[in-house]
Amino acid sequence: MSRQISFDLNGNETSLEIEDHWTLLYLLREKLGLTGTKEGCGSGECGACTVIVDGAAINTCLYLAVEVEGKTVLTIEGLASPNGDLHPMQKSFIENGGIQCGYCSPGMILSATALLEENAAPDDDEIKHAIAGNICRCTGYVQIIDAIKRTSQPETEKVKVVAWQSDTGNK
Amino acid sequence: MKPFTYLIPKTLDEAISLFESHEGRSAYIAGGTDVLIKIKERKLLPDYLISLKHILGPDRPLLNADTKELYISAFITHRTLERSTLIQRTYPILHDAVKNIGSVQIRNTATIGGNLVNAVPSADGAIPLIALDASVNIYGTKGMRSIDLIHFFLGPGQSVLEKGEILTEIVVPPLLPRTGGAYIKFGRRKAMELPLLGVGMLLSLDEDLATCVKARIGLGVAAPTPIRAFSAERFLKGREVNEQTLTEAGQIAADEARVRDSIRGVAWYRRELVGVLVKRMGFTCLQRAGLKHGDSEDV
Amino acid sequence: MLANGTTKIASKLAPTINDRHLLRIYDSAPFKSCEKPMTNVYIVGQRVSKLAAAEKATGRSKYIQDVTLPGMLHGKILYSKYPHARIVNIDTSRAKKLQGVRVVLTGEDIPAIRMGVYKDNPPLKAGKVRSYRDEVAAVAATDPAIAEEALNLIEVTYEALPAVFDPETAMQKDAPLVHEAHKTNILKMPWKLHYGDVDAARKEAAHIVEDRFSATWVTHCCLGTSGSIADFDYDNHLTVYSNTQIPSLAQKDFLGTVKALGLKNRRVRVVKPCIGGAFGSKLDTYAYEHVAILLAFHARKPVRILFDRKEEFIATSTRQPAIMDIAQGCDENGKLLFRDITMILDNGAYTSWGATTPSVMMMPISTLYRVPNVRYQASCVYTNNTYAQAMRGYGNPQATFAIESSIDMLARAAGIDPVEFRRINANQPSEVSPQGFRITTCGLTECIDRVAHEIGADDVKKKGEGIGYASLIHVGGGARVYKSDGCGTLMKINDYGKVDVFTGATDMGQGADTVIAQLVAEELGLHIDDIHVIHTDTDVCPWDVGAHASRTTFIAGNSALGAAKKLKEQIVKIASQTLDVDPQQIELNDRMAIFREDTEKNIDLGKLLRKTHFSPGGNMLMAEYFYDPDNENLGRDFKGNLSMTYTFGTHGARVKVDEETGKVEILNYVAAHDVGRAINPMLLEGQVYGGVMMGIGYALTEQVQLEKGEIMNPNFRDYKVLTAKDTVPIEAPILETTDPDGPYGAKGIGEPGCVPTAPAIANAIYDAVGVRIKDLPITPERVLAALKRKKGIDSCGIDPLTEKEYDCT
Ligand SMILES: Cc1cc2nc3c(=O)[nH]c(=O)nc-3n(C[C@H](O)[C@H](O)[C@H](O)COP(=O)(O)OP(=O)(O)OC[C@H]3O[C@@H](n4cnc5c(N)ncnc54)[C@H](O)[C@@H]3O)c2cc1C
Ligand code: FES
Ligand code: FES
Repeated sequence: MSRQISFDLNGNETSLEIEDHWTLLYLLREKLGLTGTKEGCGSGECGACTVIVDGAAINTCLYLAVEVEGKTVLTIEGLASPNGDLHPMQKSFIENGGIQCGYCSPGMILSATALLEENAAPDDDEIKHAIAGNICRCTGYVQIIDAIKRTSQPETEKVKVVAWQSDTGNK
Repeated sequence: MKPFTYLIPKTLDEAISLFESHEGRSAYIAGGTDVLIKIKERKLLPDYLISLKHILGPDRPLLNADTKELYISAFITHRTLERSTLIQRTYPILHDAVKNIGSVQIRNTATIGGNLVNAVPSADGAIPLIALDASVNIYGTKGMRSIDLIHFFLGPGQSVLEKGEILTEIVVPPLLPRTGGAYIKFGRRKAMELPLLGVGMLLSLDEDLATCVKARIGLGVAAPTPIRAFSAERFLKGREVNEQTLTEAGQIAADEARVRDSIRGVAWYRRELVGVLVKRMGFTCLQRAGLKHGDSEDV
Repeated sequence: MLANGTTKIASKLAPTINDRHLLRIYDSAPFKSCEKPMTNVYIVGQRVSKLAAAEKATGRSKYIQDVTLPGMLHGKILYSKYPHARIVNIDTSRAKKLQGVRVVLTGEDIPAIRMGVYKDNPPLKAGKVRSYRDEVAAVAATDPAIAEEALNLIEVTYEALPAVFDPETAMQKDAPLVHEAHKTNILKMPWKLHYGDVDAARKEAAHIVEDRFSATWVTHCCLGTSGSIADFDYDNHLTVYSNTQIPSLAQKDFLGTVKALGLKNRRVRVVKPCIGGAFGSKLDTYAYEHVAILLAFHARKPVRILFDRKEEFIATSTRQPAIMDIAQGCDENGKLLFRDITMILDNGAYTSWGATTPSVMMMPISTLYRVPNVRYQASCVYTNNTYAQAMRGYGNPQATFAIESSIDMLARAAGIDPVEFRRINANQPSEVSPQGFRITTCGLTECIDRVAHEIGADDVKKKGEGIGYASLIHVGGGARVYKSDGCGTLMKINDYGKVDVFTGATDMGQGADTVIAQLVAEELGLHIDDIHVIHTDTDVCPWDVGAHASRTTFIAGNSALGAAKKLKEQIVKIASQTLDVDPQQIELNDRMAIFREDTEKNIDLGKLLRKTHFSPGGNMLMAEYFYDPDNENLGRDFKGNLSMTYTFGTHGARVKVDEETGKVEILNYVAAHDVGRAINPMLLEGQVYGGVMMGIGYALTEQVQLEKGEIMNPNFRDYKVLTAKDTVPIEAPILETTDPDGPYGAKGIGEPGCVPTAPAIANAIYDAVGVRIKDLPITPERVLAALKRKKGIDSCGIDPLTEKEYDCT
């Protein structure tokens, strides 16, 4: 069945016709061209499709579009401020190596953002708990956790790489 | 996904009558984390999905101050339970379980009722509730009925729910004094896991804080449905809880378990785990029973 | 010679390393602007953010899933229902009649196209299927759902054939043949080498250990699933959008398909959208890419095929599984005398790069530690299982698992501390290995010491805790596996001093583009944001053999440097003419041509370039360079200096084993690598962390579970990729040996992170509880079964080799 729904999408009041069986992922990607929301599994197991609905991170692949009626939806496209300034979380991911192939990044960044809304200064375990549903195959998560931590607690000790030089016959 | 019509009743009666009028072509949906996957995989092809999410009811677990019974609406999410201080403080066994169901995203939508109705042996929500002696309220055309959760499950994916019936509420009877409870999901990863084995245990102690007056052991993935290890419970009752008795209780529970091989794990190993984890949960219970409110430290 | 006044330190002794003040600590602040350089090197060595990171962080990057073309159709593939069967009949008539269906193809409808290194794999199978992943038919329709429905309407009649799933069974005479024409299931690939005299050395050895190890199927699990779009233009020139790691070789493969379609003299262009992870999976072309081309040709419309997650598990490839028999021996003093290895590799039903992994396995086999006598033989055997591909490490993780586990056993047999044993046998700089590898720089000993120190080798261990080590060697300066190991670069600089770098390299998240930009900026005295790296289009990018063998920083880096040097020469020349000074005295720095003697004369680069451009007889500056290193293909005896340099490293794991459940917990992990030079420490760390986590998954949790050829866990629920909660504390110290041939001294580091992880963990488990797990993954079941066996409890347990359950009664 098709029906009209209205909701707040990235700060814009949006009203459109949808089909009942559309997932929010389908609506965003295929109908609204918001391809920043990714599909990695289609079954709730990877978190690539995460957006924030009424403050809570959800998997759009298992969320029906009809359910956003009257709600507020934040996708990765709406995270930076309208003038283009990056959200601190985006900045931190960029600056701390939290992004490699980037396929997990939109979902990861949104999960992290939802966490900080709830908990302004999460510790490592709380961060891990919050992003456990976002699989990243590239980074091993270390720099992602670091990026999240430093968004909320900029004074956190920086991850440092120690380099040393050889002198055993190496140039 | 195959097209369907989504219906949004606001009351139980409305939901049931919608179900009736589309009998055979409809299914209920709460969080949808199970049902939508089944539809995607074409294992279920309803023409009507009747949402239970918008039925008005309490949005958090409530403790009846007089009876000390805990009421949990079936339609609230795991995340709500996870973040409830009532659950954290008083029912750590439940908190242990709900905080590790799926991911934050899953818990933000998946409901406790859906978890029970789904009736899989691995349902993390079911095991602690069984140990808590919970009962469930079921509403249907014939009105409301109540059944102990332990009798709710009939087999994998099967429950006592009749067509069109809705599980509305979970009721947890008052806890005895000096009760400690704990749940562990044993998996290969630390998150996003279905249990290889789940053990939920509740121990109530005598005033000596050592003798067991009541024991409950719920096991997940140890049989085709969530089960209780009755013999092990009986063994513990009246005995002092210590390394030796817990080890023995674990062995008894392991013998009771009807584990089997699956791609997720082999039977012999699951049986080993029953023994070890019953013992360990027993220790956690012991420790938590001694605390004023069972605390929610990790198990 | 390094930035920030690096101090050299003695590397041999741990206590010296202890003094952190002596070490260069990279500041992790991202490199923002170009401050006036303190030294002659200022962008190289900085933690520059990945170039495309902002695009990715804002969801703007376009992956194959996000690319659509006008009029595009959607393709879907029908897979086999049997592991081995004759196709008696395929009836596509109902599918063809479905509204919206444009093309239906079966193996009978397509020309002879053969994929893979052995050319044994047609994109659509005719006559018979040999595995569950066999492509039987394909549909193009106006909507993915219609295409899916059409697949359901295709009726295939099969006649099941006896199948074989175990390579050892498949080697026997009466085994069912997977490819009848091949006459045997054993591939005619002579992986066989013998240096020195193993049998003689064996007689001399004071200590010998011998055992069998096995490594199973695991898979890449790129978060972005595979996909491809094929689009013919009016004249049948083809554009393929595909997330490949080998644009130039894929172009050649696709051209083969175009030719097979009877089209002559056609162009093929390969465009790479943003790649959602690769790890080797995209090192060969797959059936779906060719099928998209075939469908598009018949439909005369662009066709996109996108994999869902289940398809990604089933129809892309795995790491090569291996059964490995190894014997090693040493003398009284712990000096290695020989290494003797025989392997059986389950090739699956078709042959892709997995079958060639022995060529890389030979490297650790012949050269990890000094070992004078080496024998190695590997048989690849057809079975009705899935087939393997390249995957990060390319055989090296499997071989290193056997070698390093066995080294640990040998050290213990000889009564020598495992760290000391490794030190005794460590490779040294400037030596040539029996296989002819010319090692230039080598910091292996230092890595061993570093790890032993950081992991806390001397700390008291609690019960159930243990420490394990394993080292690695990997190609760090390209690998001549193809006739060319080259990479081309084109470069132009515009009127404002902005550079476009067209490189053959592929960025799939690892940061190739960023490293190239750093090198070019460094060379030309520019800022990082002056450099634009284009690596996505074979129409404009030069040839490159592909993103494999951890070669990109080294090869594409050297290529970019070569072009930058040529461009620099031209800039310096025009500057010297304009300023009327000796070219020798001109430096390029901070977007200026600088004349040290008289800084008044310094001229802004843009100004200089505009002047040159807009003068009569004007000129725009461009440069090109093709770098093909001086490394060698392996000869018939498999000798040859495969790489320009070799990367070394040592990993150490501290674990705790739960003796009641068999569960292994990693308490901390140290991975030290000799990287030559860290061009970008932040990206480098990212490679190491990501590699180590992938390696931990390989060691402990990951496994593609095949039952009679069928994948039982094609989803993230049951295929256990590690989550953020599974992370462990990892330290990744970097040793810089400044390789003479590397760009600014760098070696490759893309793969090593996951090479010695499994044996380090296995060795730690042995150290902790005295059981040796010889099969991957090291599941709690295996550990517990081994613990029980050790205690002499003859109770339930699985035999790790046969996977059969012991009798429990
Ligand atoms: C990625 C992922 C991870 C998961 N991890 C876990 C885990 O760790 N542990 C675990 O136990 N489960 C897990 N699950 C399963 C699932 O999330 C839970 O079982 C969840 O609680 C189901 O709730 P729901 O509201 O989403 O159910 P739905 O999908 O809405 O419904 C499930 C079934 O119950 C019926 N139903 C729902 N509510 C009622 C009701 N009140 N009365 C009558 N019928 C009803 C529906 O018709 C349907 O048949 C996971 C699922 C996913 C996708
Ligand atoms: S696509 Fe939704 S969780 Fe993977
Ligand atoms: S950056 Fe590639 S999956 Fe996370």
